[in-house]
Amino acid sequence: MSAKLERLSQILRIVLEGRLRSLAENRGEITVEVGAEDYLEVVRTLRDHAELRFEQLMDIFGVDYSAYGNAACQSGRRFATVLHLLSIEHNWRLRLRVFCPDDGFPVMDSVCGLWPSANWQEREAFDMYGIMYSGHPDLRRILTDYGFEGHPLRKDFPVYGYTEMRYDEEAGRVIYQPVTIEPRENIPRVVREAGYGDAGHV
Amino acid sequence: MSIEGIFREGFVTTSLDTVINWTRTGSLWPVTFGLACCAIEMMHTGMARYDLDRYGIIFRASPRHSDVMVVAGTVTNKMAPAMRRIYEQLAEPRWVVSMGSCANGGGYYHYSYSVVRGCDRIVPVDVYVPGCPPTAEALLYGLLQLQNKIKRTSTIARS
Repeated sequence: MSAKLERLSQILRIVLEGRLRSLAENRGEITVEVGAEDYLEVVRTLRDHAELRFEQLMDIFGVDYSAYGNAACQSGRRFATVLHLLSIEHNWRLRLRVFCPDDGFPVMDSVCGLWPSANWQEREAFDMYGIMYSGHPDLRRILTDYGFEGHPLRKDFPVYGYTEMRYDEEAGRVIYQPVTIEPRENIPRVVREAGYGDAGHV
Repeated sequence: MSIEGIFREGFVTTSLDTVINWTRTGSLWPVTFGLACCAIEMMHTGMARYDLDRYGIIFRASPRHSDVMVVAGTVTNKMAPAMRRIYEQLAEPRWVVSMGSCANGGGYYHYSYSVVRGCDRIVPVDVYVPGCPPTAEALLYGLLQLQNKIKRTSTIARS
């Protein structure tokens, strides 16, 4: 770990005392994990604390860990939200991972109040993973079709979906019908050595 | 056929079908409808090097000005109703050129939950141009094939 990252991790350990679930360095950046109950408060601290000052939100996305291979990473929870933060003032970056407490109905606090740019990114995570962001001003689907059912990046969603589209002559419009193609084996048969692609984090 | 004789006589005879088809093939105006990377190749076909203008093929910004629709790219479920609407707004007679693997049959996204497996599920297609994306030459060839197809049609019904 470089001296700069060492300093960042020390500041994080001090500032987030008691709220830090884990802290790891991976590929030149720090990954921290906090609990969902502390999430909003921690994020506000990360943004406003003079020593940290993560004033820019780079990305928000969801993760579905239900079929995740690296068992060491699993906390037993299925859905997580990951934030990528950037501090222009200090020139450092941070990954923040928060697991949703309820697998059946994943709910997280929204960070739209802190970064307006979180609006569409949380909508995307909601669309793809079904993670609800409480406090979001306008939590609608953003990418999939109007009236789409399901959350396509969940691991239990088949890649070919449940419905397909065609033009119906009698109805005179484009309609949805149940999917007609045969499922296809699309898991690549790759033999990998032990430890291949191991991210190395806990 | 030399034209000197025609100049002397001052008139030619031909069939009305030939004239109608000549006018149609000489001014195929496609509606500007690009969906993905194929649209970039379509732009190349329209630009100086391949120059669709010399065939009278001029891109129009409104389907109501247009005769032909080049479906250039992946047709998603969300786009399909809009594409059908644009097709219905084209003035008759109208033709559709399906450009690239995605528009022909879903292509790379054939097994995707969000992509129409071929634009012929939404609109009737006249010419399929293969490729991913097709080169500008391939699209040009496809449009010339469409011209050949139009030349074979008989507008005047004979009993």
